[in-house]
Amino acid sequence: MGEVILTMKGIDKSFPGVHALDHVDLEERKGEVHALMGENGAGKSTLMKVLTGIYKKDSGTITYEGKEVEFHNTREAQDAGVVIVHQELNMLGHLTVAQNIFIGREFKKGIRIDDKKMNEEARKLFDRMNIDIDPRETMSNLTVGKQQMCEIAKAISHDAKVIIFDEPSAALTEAEIAELFKIIRDLREQGLGIIYISHRMDEIKVITDRVTVMRDGTYVGTLVTEDSTKDDIINMMVGRVIYEDPKTENMTPKDAPVVLKVEHLNAGKMVQDVSFELHKGEILGFSGLMGAGRTETARALFGADPIDSGDIYINGKKVTIKSPQDAVRNGIGYLSEDRKRFGIVVQKTVAENTTMATLDAYANGPFINKKKEKEVAEKYVESLATKTPSVDQLVVNLSGGNQQKVVIAKWLTRNSDILIFDEPTRGIDVGAKNEIYKLMNQLAAEGKAIIMISSEMTEILRMSDRIIVMCEGKKTGELDISEATQENIMNMATREIN
Amino acid sequence: MCLKKTNTVKEGKANRYMKKRGMGEAKQVGTVNRNNASKQKMGGRKVESIKQNPFVKKVGFNRIILCIVLILMYGLFCALTSGAFAGMTRIMSALNYAYFLGFLSLGVTFVIATGGIDFSIGPVMFCCALIAGFSLVTYGVPMPAAVIISIVVGLVFGIFNGYLVAYWNVPSFITSMASMNIAKGVASVFTRTQSVSWPQANAEGGWYRQLVKMGDIPTGLIILLIVAVICAILLNKTKMGRYILSLGSNKEAVRLSGVNVKKWEMSAYVICGLLVGIAAIFYVAAYTTVQPGYGDTYNNEAIAGCVMGGTSMAGGLASISGTIIGVFIIALLQEGILALGFTKDVQLIITGIIVIVAVFADVVARRRKN
Repeated sequence: MGEVILTMKGIDKSFPGVHALDHVDLEERKGEVHALMGENGAGKSTLMKVLTGIYKKDSGTITYEGKEVEFHNTREAQDAGVVIVHQELNMLGHLTVAQNIFIGREFKKGIRIDDKKMNEEARKLFDRMNIDIDPRETMSNLTVGKQQMCEIAKAISHDAKVIIFDEPSAALTEAEIAELFKIIRDLREQGLGIIYISHRMDEIKVITDRVTVMRDGTYVGTLVTEDSTKDDIINMMVGRVIYEDPKTENMTPKDAPVVLKVEHLNAGKMVQDVSFELHKGEILGFSGLMGAGRTETARALFGADPIDSGDIYINGKKVTIKSPQDAVRNGIGYLSEDRKRFGIVVQKTVAENTTMATLDAYANGPFINKKKEKEVAEKYVESLATKTPSVDQLVVNLSGGNQQKVVIAKWLTRNSDILIFDEPTRGIDVGAKNEIYKLMNQLAAEGKAIIMISSEMTEILRMSDRIIVMCEGKKTGELDISEATQENIMNMATREIN
Repeated sequence: MCLKKTNTVKEGKANRYMKKRGMGEAKQVGTVNRNNASKQKMGGRKVESIKQNPFVKKVGFNRIILCIVLILMYGLFCALTSGAFAGMTRIMSALNYAYFLGFLSLGVTFVIATGGIDFSIGPVMFCCALIAGFSLVTYGVPMPAAVIISIVVGLVFGIFNGYLVAYWNVPSFITSMASMNIAKGVASVFTRTQSVSWPQANAEGGWYRQLVKMGDIPTGLIILLIVAVICAILLNKTKMGRYILSLGSNKEAVRLSGVNVKKWEMSAYVICGLLVGIAAIFYVAAYTTVQPGYGDTYNNEAIAGCVMGGTSMAGGLASISGTIIGVFIIALLQEGILALGFTKDVQLIITGIIVIVAVFADVVARRRKN
């Protein structure tokens, strides 16, 4: 490890309703791979967004190469040599690899773009990384893993001195991860500072030099990886939070009726011949890698996207679902992975969001009965323990966990019997996460049937009674919780990928 | 700080959003130095305390600012014309302009609330007045039938726009641009490119002019305010209004709640069409004569009144009372400009600038929110 290249000290950042970062410190040296760890919602990504100028910090200092800096946007950060490789890939699918890498700073010959030069330069980058990708290939033809490599190449091409990897391995196969690590080691040799965000414990031990742990937006501590055990790190991450006990056996009553039966569902490329059954009072986990087709299955089932073929039975009766209206009428509720886009109307109040799916029941003819509406919203604020000053508060001012509760309230108001939770705890802080788990267990115990899509293995193992695993749009396995392990789920989740 | 003074409207709008979101005072983002930033903060705190006043809270900070602007403008015009502007004549004349513009602006408020836009309202209004007027004058249909024809023509255009936007997903910008030309063309073909004069007050069927003024009573004002109240109820108290505003804010979330978003989105355009048909009656009741091929300038003015009043171009936020005050400002402005001896062209420049400033203020408010 070399000298210190980057220091963040006392970084503070608040959003309406959430104190996202509370005086967080981070130190990065040249030639170091530094892990940034913490549960979902611990503030890792927020910290990196402050560093790269996406968010403006409320207070604190950032020292880079000995000078105090404040980047106002990612461009400024890039120019200075601080580059982020995002979790979601920011690639333009219809352009070539080289065009993507040099976007915004194309080589030119007069006013013409010099594609030949760009291809050559991209080739040089790939040679430096020791990987084989054709710069002339169209981006959308590459696998997710290869696209990630291109993102890294793009980062290096910026003459980066600090590269941030935000959960780079989330969508990669074993082989691709090995390749990624090789590249990261090379970069370390070249004296770059690497910040590596992940919550895969095994990776941390393999690749990193030091670990900084965050929890609930606060700095917990920094450890040297070699001198610490897995348990040390976990203890720092989890802290005082006590989780719902993980399930070890299927809690669904033996004689629970099948409420939803899906047979040979096809919808586009991402849903191919998916069949499954869902029982009353059951939590059915859907596991798989990013892009496995789980969300697409849920959306097709909910009528949000068109179905090509397949049969859906609810309580033994065949139903036709062509739109969300049909699905809602049949008692299905969908809680999207992306609350802000698909779940809540941020400019409306808690009460107005609560009755969004049931407004007819809270209206006299065309007129809304605001008193009745408020009553039902208050009822659910109380029973779900939603933290809000009043039901007249705009949902935009609530934290992620409380927004999620408002969406749950929406479907409970509608009295939906089948609830699809798509990544129910994404972007929710740790304490609230546990409350959502408790709530889901409670709903299942009351006889609701729940489909839970999750990319977090721990969440799947903690919550599910049964698990369905998908890969590349196909169902590749079905397990009872008693026989499920991380290994056999992972095996099924990568079955279709070579 | 001088920046602050010139942008009263903008600041007012921004602050209104801040208040609604309970975000406390505005923080200046960007390159201002520390000293300046802290001054801004102090200013923000003062504005904040005014906004917390229960009266201000009830009426709305933005609307109070607009009322003040309206009064100041009137005072300014009186002063610049050495008092010649004062008196009922000018006010009645400005009101005549406010009536038809008010109906247009109310209509387009619903469309903008869904996140759409309608550039066809002015020409469609002329199309309504021309077709109804030509039927009246040339084919001799009775006056009540002519009024109904006008409203029906407006409705047809509203249904056409709404259906294309909601069910075929054609962008409202394109749809309304196309129907603007269709309206102009249809009106010209129907009237063989001749202007149409509706009957004078003392002629047969001249009773329609009493819709605007009955003796000394400004009936038009009363009708406009009644319709505005109905619109406010529609927007704030009914399912339709709730869905229109919600889908303007986040259409996909509303759709995924199992709501028939297409139907409700289309309904906004239908209401707009209906109000445009009514606006046509009030236009001829004030000015009698309509010429084919015109009407575009009213689009801008109606939209200006609407966005000035606090309706967000991005959809999801709308204020009927704001729209009405905004319309009065535009109407007074055009009357004042004429009184000062300028041509209508000056007004085009000013309304153009108003639209840009009001929309920019909305954009800034949204950016601060994020």
